[in-house]
Amino acid sequence: MSKVVVRSLRARVGLVAALAALLVLTAGAGVFAQQTVVIGTLGPLTGDYASYGVSVANGVELAVNEANASGQYNYVFRVQKEDTRGDSVQAVNAINKLIELDRVTAIVGAVLSGETMTAGPIAQDEGVPFITPSATAPAVSEIGDYEFRNVITDDKQSAQMIDYVVNTLGLQRIAVLYTNNDYGVALRQGVEAGVRAAGAQLVAVESFLDGDSDFTAQLTNIAAANPEALYIAGYYTEAAQIARQAQRIGLNVRIMGADGFDSPLLVELGGDAVEGALFTSGFDSETDDPAARAFIEAYEAAYGVKPDMFAANAYDSARIIIQAINQVGPNRAAVRDAIAATTDFPGVTGPTTFLENGDADKPLLIFEVQNGRFVRVR
Amino acid sequence: MPVLDLVNEALREWINPYYYGIFLVMGINMILAMSLNLVTGFTGQLHLGHAGFMAIGAYTAGILATKGGAAFLPAVLAGGVAAAFFGFVVGLPTLRLRGDYLAIATLGFGEIVRIAILNLDITGGAFGLRGIPRLTNLPIVIIAVLLTYVILHSLIRSRVGRAFIAIREDEVAASAMGIETTRMKVTAFVLAAFFAGVAGGLYAFWFRFISPGSFGFLLSIEILSMVVLGGLGNLLGSVLGAGFITYLPELLRTSVPAVAQHRMVFYGALLVLAMIVRPNGLLGTSSEQGWLEMWLARRKAKHAARGPARLEAAAPGQDGADGRSGE
Amino acid sequence: MGVLGQQLLNGLVTGSAYALIALGYTMVYGVLQLINFAHGEIYMVGAFVGLLLVTVVKLPFLAALPLAMLAAALVGVTVEFVAYRPLRRSSRLAVLISAIGMSIFLQNVALWIFGPATRSFPPPFQVSVLQIGPLRTNTLALLTLGVALVMMVGLHYLVRHTKTGKAMRAVAQDRDTAALMGINVNRTIALTFLIGSSLAAAAGVMVGMLFNAVVPTMGVMPGLKGFVAAVLGGIGNIPGAMLGGIVLGLAETMGVALLSSQWRDAIAFAILILVLLYKPSGLLGARVEEKV
Repeated sequence: MSKVVVRSLRARVGLVAALAALLVLTAGAGVFAQQTVVIGTLGPLTGDYASYGVSVANGVELAVNEANASGQYNYVFRVQKEDTRGDSVQAVNAINKLIELDRVTAIVGAVLSGETMTAGPIAQDEGVPFITPSATAPAVSEIGDYEFRNVITDDKQSAQMIDYVVNTLGLQRIAVLYTNNDYGVALRQGVEAGVRAAGAQLVAVESFLDGDSDFTAQLTNIAAANPEALYIAGYYTEAAQIARQAQRIGLNVRIMGADGFDSPLLVELGGDAVEGALFTSGFDSETDDPAARAFIEAYEAAYGVKPDMFAANAYDSARIIIQAINQVGPNRAAVRDAIAATTDFPGVTGPTTFLENGDADKPLLIFEVQNGRFVRVR
Repeated sequence: MPVLDLVNEALREWINPYYYGIFLVMGINMILAMSLNLVTGFTGQLHLGHAGFMAIGAYTAGILATKGGAAFLPAVLAGGVAAAFFGFVVGLPTLRLRGDYLAIATLGFGEIVRIAILNLDITGGAFGLRGIPRLTNLPIVIIAVLLTYVILHSLIRSRVGRAFIAIREDEVAASAMGIETTRMKVTAFVLAAFFAGVAGGLYAFWFRFISPGSFGFLLSIEILSMVVLGGLGNLLGSVLGAGFITYLPELLRTSVPAVAQHRMVFYGALLVLAMIVRPNGLLGTSSEQGWLEMWLARRKAKHAARGPARLEAAAPGQDGADGRSGE
Repeated sequence: MGVLGQQLLNGLVTGSAYALIALGYTMVYGVLQLINFAHGEIYMVGAFVGLLLVTVVKLPFLAALPLAMLAAALVGVTVEFVAYRPLRRSSRLAVLISAIGMSIFLQNVALWIFGPATRSFPPPFQVSVLQIGPLRTNTLALLTLGVALVMMVGLHYLVRHTKTGKAMRAVAQDRDTAALMGINVNRTIALTFLIGSSLAAAAGVMVGMLFNAVVPTMGVMPGLKGFVAAVLGGIGNIPGAMLGGIVLGLAETMGVALLSSQWRDAIAFAILILVLLYKPSGLLGARVEEKV
């Protein structure tokens, strides 16, 4: 293992950085202004969850490329992308590499809650600020003061959706089909609480595992309970398959879900079966906002697909980090403080403010699939 | 122990945390691989659920630490004992099964453990178990690896160990010679489960957070590949195999960007290549069946007559593992 | 009992999807005793080739299917030549690890080429819902069941009643003796991979359509379930693989119907273990006499 880098090297790098900073200070801004700052991102780029991780990496990359091209910043930014395979051990290796070898100033990630729970505490210990664009498990916000979360938590999403379905649409008999993972269980708990609060009825609760593609047995049980609406606590891939299979077994009820639905693939995979489906999200892909429209077009031009919720949250997270670094310089602790002070950042997912616990506070919208488009209904 | 803490301080000072973390996981994997080798390499029973025992150890230690306030060593040992207990309960009925029938029974056991953890309350379910203190460090893991090696090595050299190998070579003959084959197989299984449980405990106290997704079927397969790549029936081989399989993805991660970007493609290809070059594992004893020798033999055979010359093919329905080397 | 009857039918359809995969699996498995972890990836390759031929090249489905089978067969034979043949004389666990390496390789090459997004596989005809008394099913599900049955009968005929099949059985029983009897062992094994892989592709296309999802990781779970079904049915037994798949599908569905969807896979595996304890050589496996 010839690559073992000893601490003395670290000290040397620190010394060089300090010298550079000193030079910048003495020579005045502008002369040495084009210092390169590394922003890391980690998530599943391979394996079962690759589609989510790749969206996040793309969103970060796009934000960095745009920042460099704009010429408005004091630094040149570089993205370092690391793969976790969605695995907790690999996530720890990935974040250690970002922090210790690539010497990143801040990180966007991790993508899944499980990997964020093992990798996050390391960034916290080392004092590296990170924004997760998608880990929704409640415990993530307890990692510490270097943790930020730029996604609306599950309980809020499911509660608002149930409120809309029960009180605005007047549907009373609710069924839940959830992924048996942290995302699905948290949403299910939110639905249960929401149903209780709204005084509606929970008629069936069924679950499935990550990677399943056959849901007929669960749907048959649900159909037997005769619901008026079905909450699918999972991502777009499964939601589209479930909607199709529900149609085939003759279960034609209103389908709803959370931001996991928010991908053009929902319609591509679900076709007419997802028509009328409702979901909550912070990202409006049909928006008139010019900045958001520009993002959607640039993303499609760069990656050949329309951005999903993961890409949009990651894009905003990276831009928040870039803005913070630009304000206070590439000092991890100062960047943390600058991120924490973010107020009404004009994101493509809405104006974003970070709360005391690191969670983003931003408006939650409700969309309906109408003729294959996501139309905002609230 | 203050001495260990001092050693740890020194190691932390000298080793970059990225590599420190890799070494630590390597050590845990070495314990897992050596213990699986006892069942699969020495006793010849194909076992595809080792991650299940690791999970039981990790969760036992984690729950004791977070909910019972247990200290590090008792919690880790309790993890080992709990895994050994399950090893006994599961091993007793299923070890009657032969070959691949045993393989899917153990695979099923591993999946049942994962789903039980996912659905129970005490384990934290899908949200995982958090708040475990970080008490594992590199010196402790190194000591655990050494202890595992010494214990398993002397076991294999003992009467019991010879009985294991006899079962692997020919179960019927072993039984005829008066070896209680079922009892011996269960013994191997229980011991392996104990060490896997200890490895799980060390894992829990290092990562501070454990979730059911970390102990899936793919982990069992990865441990098996460490054993086979190292050499079936060779303890040092397992150490080497675990080191190789743990480090390879990270080596590819830190290599040139063109490789790092598609590291899993290279990882798969290198695994195939490693097996072809060293069919009996890195430290497998018999090298006469390497691809080079085979190729030469085939050439010779072509010259001599039609059809291959010297053959020793596996017969159908044969037992799961037919590793050839012993310690 | 309308719901229970419906669930039995669901289990049959799920099971026939597993059976489709298990049939291709058991070909290679029966002849070589190789736990072919790359089988699921061949299945995935078949599904992708089929999908591209239908959606990009715009071939009619009935032309795309044989071409997808051919492409997957070529990949399968290549895999055998590169990764398994050099290990023919080694322990079967060495081949198993080589197969795992191949599986990781193929999956990530597919990820490289096709990207991580799930793709839709539109069926070549309008799927209509059928109502038979209290039971409801659809034409695509029935087609899957039908294809599985036809494949089983065809395979059984091939292995039991043709010269090629005889050669395969001879190689399965004793490779050396087979060689001495003048059977070309290498060719027979390559042929086995050819057939097994093309069946995997057919399964990939059918199941990809049935569940409307084609993605690089789609082969992992089916590969595992195919293995489980093939062993459960009895190693190397073709009707056994079909039966193993159906039993697995029924066990999963009945777990959801009668107990809980949360515990589905645990229930299914518990049933499997119990079946094996009762029948240690699989459902239809011959009792292996112990050699003394």
